[in-house]
Amino acid sequence: MTYTPANSMGSPRVFVTGLGFITSIGLDRAGVTDSLRHLRHGISHYPAFAGADSPVKLLAPVKGFEVDSPDFEDWKVPAGYTIRREVMRALAPNGVYAWCAMQQCIEDAALTPADISNQDTGLYAASGGSPMLLFRQMVRMNEVGVMRCPPTGIVASIAGTLNFNLVAGFKILGASTGFSSACASSAHAMGFAFDEIRLGRQKRMFVVGGEDCNRESMLPFAGMRALSVQTDPIKASRPFDAARDGFVGTGGAVVMLLESGDEVARRGARAYCEFLGWGQGSDGHSVAMSHPQGLGLKLAMERALASTGVAAGEVDYINAHATSTPIGDVSELRAIKAVFGTGGARPWVSSTKALTGHGLSLSSVMEAAFCAVAIRDGFTPGSAHIEKLDPEAAGVAVLRETLAEGPRTVVSNSSGFGGANVAVVLRRA
Amino acid sequence: MGLKVKWLEFCVVLRIHEPFALGAMASASNNPTTAQPGAPTPEETQLRDSLKRCSPAVIEAAVRFRATKDAELVPTIVLGIIERYLEAGAAERLRHADDDVRVIEDLGLDSLTLMEAVILIEEVVQISINNDELRSLRTVGDIKVFIDHKVRGLPPPQPSKYLPLEQVAAVMPQQPPFLFVREATLSSAWATGTYTITGDETFLAGHFKDNPIFPASIMLEALGQLAVLYLLEAPSSQLGAPVDPKTILFTGAEGVRCHRVCRPGDVLKLSVKPKRLRMPLATFEGHIRVGQERAAVAEEVSLTFGFLVEAPAPVAPSAPTVPATPAG
Repeated sequence: MTYTPANSMGSPRVFVTGLGFITSIGLDRAGVTDSLRHLRHGISHYPAFAGADSPVKLLAPVKGFEVDSPDFEDWKVPAGYTIRREVMRALAPNGVYAWCAMQQCIEDAALTPADISNQDTGLYAASGGSPMLLFRQMVRMNEVGVMRCPPTGIVASIAGTLNFNLVAGFKILGASTGFSSACASSAHAMGFAFDEIRLGRQKRMFVVGGEDCNRESMLPFAGMRALSVQTDPIKASRPFDAARDGFVGTGGAVVMLLESGDEVARRGARAYCEFLGWGQGSDGHSVAMSHPQGLGLKLAMERALASTGVAAGEVDYINAHATSTPIGDVSELRAIKAVFGTGGARPWVSSTKALTGHGLSLSSVMEAAFCAVAIRDGFTPGSAHIEKLDPEAAGVAVLRETLAEGPRTVVSNSSGFGGANVAVVLRRA
Repeated sequence: MGLKVKWLEFCVVLRIHEPFALGAMASASNNPTTAQPGAPTPEETQLRDSLKRCSPAVIEAAVRFRATKDAELVPTIVLGIIERYLEAGAAERLRHADDDVRVIEDLGLDSLTLMEAVILIEEVVQISINNDELRSLRTVGDIKVFIDHKVRGLPPPQPSKYLPLEQVAAVMPQQPPFLFVREATLSSAWATGTYTITGDETFLAGHFKDNPIFPASIMLEALGQLAVLYLLEAPSSQLGAPVDPKTILFTGAEGVRCHRVCRPGDVLKLSVKPKRLRMPLATFEGHIRVGQERAAVAEEVSLTFGFLVEAPAPVAPSAPTVPATPAG
C-alpha cells in the first residue's frame, strides 16, 4: 500500500502503524477484535471488593497476569513475555501491562531495534501511577523505616512510571514525557505525539496508556459515587442506558505507534488508518463533573474537525467517552448534538466502555486503538447493555449492535477531571 | 567457614524438598508445629517473611541472631542475603569466592540491587548504613567486616581502597619493568592484586630458552611487592604511622611452595594478609591463584620497615639487609 507522505500544506501525514493490547477484553489484537465484534464484556466479580466494606462488587480485570502481591517477585506474566528482575522491580502493575503491550506493538509494526532507539523516535505515556505501591511504600516507611523503602519505589509508583520505565527500558532517544489529565491523559499523549510528527520534530512516536487494576486504583472512585454498585455484570457498565448508575473500573495497557508518511513508505509498513488530527477544550466548570452542556467537549470536537478539515457530515462513527455515569453521558450527548445536529442518521455513536469498563488514563488510547482496528478490519462496534435508551439520546444515532461495515472517518472522545476534553480524528488510509 | 556450612545445610534441604517449595516451607515454619513453646512473635513472623526468598539456613541464622545477637552468625546472614539477589551463575561464584570478590564488578549486581540487598541486611540485623558507608562497600569482605563492626558496636572499618596501575606505580618504590602488581585492593586486614604475565617480560627470554615460564622467585617478589603496597597504603593498617617507602626491605620467607607452572597469558591473583605488624618487622602470609587454581603459597613473607620521620633525620642502618628484591 502506498500513501502520500505529506498533506496539501506539505506537512507530514501521520499514520497508525502498530498496536499492542493488554485489556480486560483481550490480551492481543485478535482477542480484542473478537470481543468488540461480538460485544463480549470483560466485567466480573472481583475478590478484593467482596468484603462488606465495599458497596462496589464489579471490576473488569486483566486476565492472565498476577500482579496483586505487594512483592513484585511474586508477579507473573502470561507465557510468551519475559521481564527481567531488574526491570520488574521498577514497574507498577500498569508498567508490567505496558511492557508487554510495547512488545506486542513492536512486533505488530515489525520495528527493528534501530527503528526504536534513535533520535527521531519518542514516547509519550499516561498513567495514574500506582496507588497500591505508593500506599505500601508509605506503610513500610512508617512501620519499618524511612531508609528501608525499596530504592525503586518512587519510579514504580508515581504518575510518570510508564515513561520512566519504557523510555529507559526500550532505549528511547527522542521526545518523551507523561501526561496527567486523568481520563483524557492518553488522548493528550496521542494529540501531542501527532504534533511532534506533524511539526517534523519526530518521525515516530509510541503512545502508551496504562492503569493498575486493583482495589487501591479503583475503589477510591466509590467515594465520589462514580462507580456502579450493580452486581450483574451486564447491567453495571451501560453507557446511554436510562438506568446507568456509574462506571466499572478497568486497567491494562495499550500502545499505539504513530509514524510519519515518509517512515511508513521507507519501511513499507501497513497502516491501520491515518491519524488526521485532534482538538481540545476545557469546561472551566467543576473539578470532578463535566459541564452539563458538554461545553469543553463540544469545543474539542469542533476544533478537531476544523483542524482536520473534516465536515461534521463526513464523520461515520463517534467512539464516545461515555463511562456510564448519570451526568457524564448526558453532557456528551448534548455536546454531540450541538456539533452534529439532531438528524439522528449520522454519525453512529457507541461507547466501548460497556465492554471494557473505564480505564482512566488508559481509556483514550485504548478506544482510539479500537477505532483503528475497526477502520482496518471493517466493522463498527456497538454500544452494549442498553435496555432503555436515555431520552437525552433522542436525535443521536446510538449504535446498539456491531455493524459489519467499517467507518471511514471516526471521532474518538475523551473527558478528564477538571473538565479537560479531547477529540481525535482517524480516517481510513 | 560460615558460608560453606550454610551452603551444605542448604544442599541437604534441597535434596529433601523441591526448590520451589522453599517459600512455602519458610512460611510453614512460622507455624509453631515444632516443639517450640508458644507461637512466633510478630517480629519473627515479619523477619521470616522478609527473608522468604533466602535459604532456610539463612532464615534460621537470622532468627537465632535476633535472639542471641551472636556476631558469628552475621557472615551467614549477609552472604545468604547477597546470594538471594544473584543470578544462578553468580551465586555459584559467591559460594567459592574469597572476601575480595567485588559485588558489582565480579558478581554482576547493579548498584540498585546492591542497595536492595543492603536494605534487607539492615532490616534483618537491625542496623543502619548511611550513604557514605554504602558507597564504600565494594567487596563481599567489605560488607561482612562492615556489618560485623556495626553489630559489635565497633567504629566502622575503613573501607577497602582500589588502586589502578597508575596509583600503584605512583606509590611503589619498585617501578616497571620490575613492578609485579598491576592493580590492587587494600583493606585494613588484607591486600589483593593482580599481575598479568604478558610474555614481553625480558627475563622470560632466558627463563627458559624457548620455554617461557614465570620464575618462582618473581612470584615471591610479587607477593613481597603487594606486602610493600599494604604497608604504604592500607587504610588504618594497625601500624599507627605512615611508613617510609625507602625503609622497606625484604628479610625472609618461610614455607614457600609452588603448585602450578605459570606462563604468558596467566593472570596471577595475589593476596596477602598481615600476620604480625610491629615496627620494624612485618610478616604476611601470601597466596597466588590463577583462576580457581592455587599457583603458590608463602606461609610467611617478612619485611622490615621504618616510619616516615617528619623532620629530616639522618638514617643510619646498623647493618645492611637483603634488598627487597630476592635474588634470581
